[in-house]
Amino acid sequence: MNTSQDHGHDHSHAAIEERDEAIEFTVLETAIRELSIAKGLFSAEDHRRFMEWYDQVGHTGGARVVARAWVDPAFKQRLLADGVAACKELGIDWLQPTGVGTPSDYTYLIVCENTPQIHNVIVCTLCSCYPRPLLGMSPAWYERSNYRRRVVRWPRQVLAEFGTIIPGDVEVRVHDSNQKTRYMVLPMRPAGTEGWSEERLMSIITRDTMIGVALPDIDWTTSSTPSGTGQPA
Amino acid sequence: MSKFNVGDRVTIRDLPPLFHTRTQGYTRGRTGVVVALRPEWVIPEDEAWGRYEGRREPFYMVRFNQRDLWPDYGGVAIDTLETEFSERWLEPASASPAPGKG
Repeated sequence: MNTSQDHGHDHSHAAIEERDEAIEFTVLETAIRELSIAKGLFSAEDHRRFMEWYDQVGHTGGARVVARAWVDPAFKQRLLADGVAACKELGIDWLQPTGVGTPSDYTYLIVCENTPQIHNVIVCTLCSCYPRPLLGMSPAWYERSNYRRRVVRWPRQVLAEFGTIIPGDVEVRVHDSNQKTRYMVLPMRPAGTEGWSEERLMSIITRDTMIGVALPDIDWTTSSTPSGTGQPA
Repeated sequence: MSKFNVGDRVTIRDLPPLFHTRTQGYTRGRTGVVVALRPEWVIPEDEAWGRYEGRREPFYMVRFNQRDLWPDYGGVAIDTLETEFSERWLEPASASPAPGKG
């Protein structure tokens, strides 16, 4: 039992405990996983390796695709014409079992190019479809009703909640991925990046810029650490 | 053979969603423009039940003006939304713009 001495409140409260009961889907997942292992469909180690790999996929595949599109106009045209084929050029294969989906789940990738006239943003109102081979696991907010219901209805307000203000003379185009197509935003290359290597360009292409809730910033890289004021440390 | 072409104005039909559909409620009765012809595949109403040899038809990317989707859209007039439909969900828009569903 915590007391007022432990953390500076002037009241006491009960210890925070995990809930006693597992929710329905936790029970279901456990049952299916244990049954699969018992039946020999895969081993416990297979499952652990999958989860360990899946949790670390991250967004670098997407960043690599965007950086290549920024430096190679012909690649960009191929990417916009056939997203899956262009990804395969860079070693990202949507059609083979990668553990992040099956061919019946998604076989089409449309890359939405931001321009001075159009700002794109991605959502799945029905569930939480996301370009996982490129961006890894979706962030928790992307999967919540709060985002999914509101970004189609009040996109500029939702973007503002992410600190992203789109000018009124720029079209905000929302893509609701309700079928087999998956989407990723191709952000505009910021000024001041002339002559940068692809690796350096990748460092400013963050997850949120490829969902469409943020714009790349030459002063904010994937290794920047937020300070109290939000400026890079 | 696709029934609709790029540039066609289409209205989303309000069919009864028996057990499963991917046609969003917020699009029913709304009018947009076909911006891309998509490949043909099994409709979700069959695929969701494991009927992989179910009904196949062309899909379409439809773009809506947000002002036409939401009766009191507070954003900018040029804002849009795009999403996909199978052919059965589309009908030609009437010649005169219909008022949006309430």
